[in-house]
Amino acid sequence: MMNQSVIQLDNVTKAYQAGAPPALTDVSMQVGAGEVVAVMGPSGSGKSTLLNLIAGLDRPTAGEVTVAGRRIDTLSETALARFRARHVGIVFQFFNLLDDLTVEDNVLLPAQLAGASRRQARARAAELLARMGIEQHRDDYPARLSGGQRQRVAIARALVNSPELLLADEPTGALDTATGQEIAKLLRQLNAAGQTLVLVTHDPALAERYAARTVRIVDGRVAGVGVPA
Amino acid sequence: MTGFGAVRTATGGMLRHKVQAIVITMVLLVSTASATLGFALLSANNAPFQHAFAAQNGAHLTLTVNAAHASPAQLAATRSLSGVTAASGPYPETIVQAQQGGQPFGGLVLAGRSSPSGPVDDLVLNAGHWVTGPGQIVLSGTPSDQGVQTGATLTVAGVPGSPSLTVVGFANSITNTADGWVAPSEIARLRAATAPVSEQMLYRFGQASTYTQIRADVTELTRALPAGAVAGTGSWLTAADQATGNGAIMAPFVVAFALIGLAMAVLIVGNVISGAVVAGYHRIGVLKSIGLTPAQVVVAYISRVGVPAIAGCLIGVVAGNVLAIPVLHQSSDAYGVGSQHVPWWASAAAPIGMLALTALAALGPALRAGRLSAAQAIAAGRAPRTGRGYAAHRLASRLGLPRPVGIGLAAPFAKPARTMVTMVAVAFGATAVIFAFGLHSSLSRAQASSDHSATVPVQVEQFGPSKGPGDQGSPSAAQDNAVTAALHAQPGTEHYVAEYNNGVNVPGITRRVDTTAYGGDASWIGYGIISGRWYDAPGEVDVNTAFLNQSGLAIGDTTTVLVGTNQVSVKIVGEVFHPSSDPALYASARTLPGFATSDNLNAYDVGLRPGTNAGAYARAVNAALGNGNPWQATTYGGGGKFYTIASALIGLLALMVAVAAGLGVLNTVLMTTRDRVHDLGVFKALGMRPAQMLAMVVCWIAGPAVLAAVVAAPAAVLLNTATLHAMASTAHTGLPASYTQVFPPLRLALLSLAALVLAAAGALLPASWAARARPAVALRAE
Repeated sequence: MMNQSVIQLDNVTKAYQAGAPPALTDVSMQVGAGEVVAVMGPSGSGKSTLLNLIAGLDRPTAGEVTVAGRRIDTLSETALARFRARHVGIVFQFFNLLDDLTVEDNVLLPAQLAGASRRQARARAAELLARMGIEQHRDDYPARLSGGQRQRVAIARALVNSPELLLADEPTGALDTATGQEIAKLLRQLNAAGQTLVLVTHDPALAERYAARTVRIVDGRVAGVGVPA
Repeated sequence: MTGFGAVRTATGGMLRHKVQAIVITMVLLVSTASATLGFALLSANNAPFQHAFAAQNGAHLTLTVNAAHASPAQLAATRSLSGVTAASGPYPETIVQAQQGGQPFGGLVLAGRSSPSGPVDDLVLNAGHWVTGPGQIVLSGTPSDQGVQTGATLTVAGVPGSPSLTVVGFANSITNTADGWVAPSEIARLRAATAPVSEQMLYRFGQASTYTQIRADVTELTRALPAGAVAGTGSWLTAADQATGNGAIMAPFVVAFALIGLAMAVLIVGNVISGAVVAGYHRIGVLKSIGLTPAQVVVAYISRVGVPAIAGCLIGVVAGNVLAIPVLHQSSDAYGVGSQHVPWWASAAAPIGMLALTALAALGPALRAGRLSAAQAIAAGRAPRTGRGYAAHRLASRLGLPRPVGIGLAAPFAKPARTMVTMVAVAFGATAVIFAFGLHSSLSRAQASSDHSATVPVQVEQFGPSKGPGDQGSPSAAQDNAVTAALHAQPGTEHYVAEYNNGVNVPGITRRVDTTAYGGDASWIGYGIISGRWYDAPGEVDVNTAFLNQSGLAIGDTTTVLVGTNQVSVKIVGEVFHPSSDPALYASARTLPGFATSDNLNAYDVGLRPGTNAGAYARAVNAALGNGNPWQATTYGGGGKFYTIASALIGLLALMVAVAAGLGVLNTVLMTTRDRVHDLGVFKALGMRPAQMLAMVVCWIAGPAVLAAVVAAPAAVLLNTATLHAMASTAHTGLPASYTQVFPPLRLALLSLAALVLAAAGALLPASWAARARPAVALRAE
């Protein structure tokens, strides 16, 4: 039996342009607390759109999106921003670190936006940087780091507010194989510690190795749900 | 791909850059309108008079000679004096009292000239023909000026036989050498038996551009002629001063605003194109890689500003012409040498000049884009940002500021050139706003001391026909006494003083001096004192700047004033603010014996106790005076037209410049928002709320705005002082120091906030766009 749902999507449809085929059509799914789910599918299938809707980065055209027990598709932009800051961490394929902030400032930023005290935030950032093995790069700028190091910074930044849900959009897509495996292992360790994780990937190997469940999206529809072989 | 098609593809078309197009249009509208108006007013300052003076070989000096003291040979000898470059005359001259249909037509200075032309004072015939014999007269001006038509008959009073003169024409002398011209032989018949025989000589000199030079020329002529020969002189500078209308006085501040607008236009256009080139590196590289030539790239980026710039210039030149109408109308009243209008060259030079500057401002960055190789451009477009501004971010993160504020304040350091340009644009805008407030305050002080609206809210003036039998039109002594009794009885009366006005003669000044004598203490009226002090004893007088300039006297000097037949020695103790080319003198009635007559009694100036309502006070006085008394109390009726138009113009120009500055900020913030759209998406994804986003984006411009305020405050003070002195110089007056001291520290500090307000207003729109954008859209927009 699935643990309490962290994500609940009910008949979610997302169309970017009226008259054009929707990016997602009538998608329903659930993700339980502590679960690792891989969302898979070919390019343009709607994986990133699904992730954006779960993260509250975009709104569905129809259907309901409930995350961490809160229906988010009806929230205002301000409420959504607060929600993202507190409940969701996002890891992007191309890291999306802010070039002009140091590693530490990048990690601190979500905590500061959420209103955490600087001392608390710094303590949490230091803990995460150590956990990610990059504490020696605290004062460096992202441009000086390798791809793997940047993704570790991005993961630390996603975790700084201890979110219930971590979303990773092709987290190894911009990394070489060895570095990608390191990052995948790190994500697995996080899950082992109880972190709910949704991975968007088109890499079957990554899904197979680390996800407990896969949701396959094709042409904007859920084409299947299963357990990796 | 055709050349045009390629250019259109490269720019993405006008509609893709609507906001930038609006910004460029508005900025050029403002600067072109200001420049057109400025050119028009500079032209109004001197052009019509100078052109007419040159065309008519105007007389630098009109000399009236007592023929009893100088022979024709002696007069002829003055033609060869060292400073004289041309001379006309001698023309016989006399003054007559003319009548038309039995009604007084007025005194006329008549000169006998057989021809309107001559080496000096080449008259322009406006209507009719020149005199062909006795019994004819050509009047100065036009039929509408004189109220008579050709064919009308004037009679000369006080001369045996009351000779008749038929008006046969109208002519203009640029320096008003006479009120009418008759045949030379006619003068003797028209001269009164008691009048001296006079001749008129007209001279041009090598040096005659200042009153000092004119006085030197007069001295040379006086020395060359026998004693008593020079009976009077008239300077061309007096006519030139009269021709300089109020519009010209406004020219300095309009030019100041035009220069600000022009500088802003160059900065903002340069910023737009630079921003477009920097933001479009990748696009430039791609377009070059598929065949766009460097020249097409240059044309593409210049054409991006072309259409909005042309539109702005065209609308601006129309706006400048419309604005010029009321201003030039003010000035044309003073001329009499033709109506004033915006010269064609102003309407051409302003837009062409602005377009040329715009093209130059765009050319640099456009050439830079053209020179980039395709590979360089693509690489530059893909490259991560350089390390500029990182230290600022590090510092900001340690300041303990809210994080969006810190990030916003540090952001400008990433693009120092763009930040600098924007800061300068904001500084110009804030300078214009502070300058406008200062100028308005200064002009208000000048107005208050000119019309005494604050100190003399009520005047008792003579209206309509007067009083008792046997007088010549002046109120009777009883009626005058009734006024003083009524004023004395009113509890609201703080001060009152009788004001007498007439002209007096002062040696060294060729025209009558407008003189005001007060029947009691008038220090409370509050004339602006430029230097010295208000008179406080008999024998002391104050004068205006024109008096000092035209007489060559200075404060502390003693001179003689001719009041009728009385000669009075007076000491000049102060220079008062009285902007006029006419000399003016102020004194106690006790200083000028014979001046304080019933005929000269012009008004009673009344100052009220605090809290007294001027309207109610005037009604009470009038009730006391009754209907039979020609004296009536009136309240101050509002500001003069000059000040009203000047204030409105200052406000409008300041508003236009401020709007342009705000649009410049909007453009910068918009460009930065587009450059950083992906970062904005990341901020949102990390939980930055719309209000935090708004604060961050507004803070991008807050730092530069603070620096702009620091620059703008002293710049505006200096500009205000310089402009006021230029205006005062045009208005033939000095300035009391208090008129330029309109920026106490607290007011200046508050006005400096204009920079922040402008910056915030300009940033707010793109900031709210950024705040409202969906994070997913922003992240996709990279």
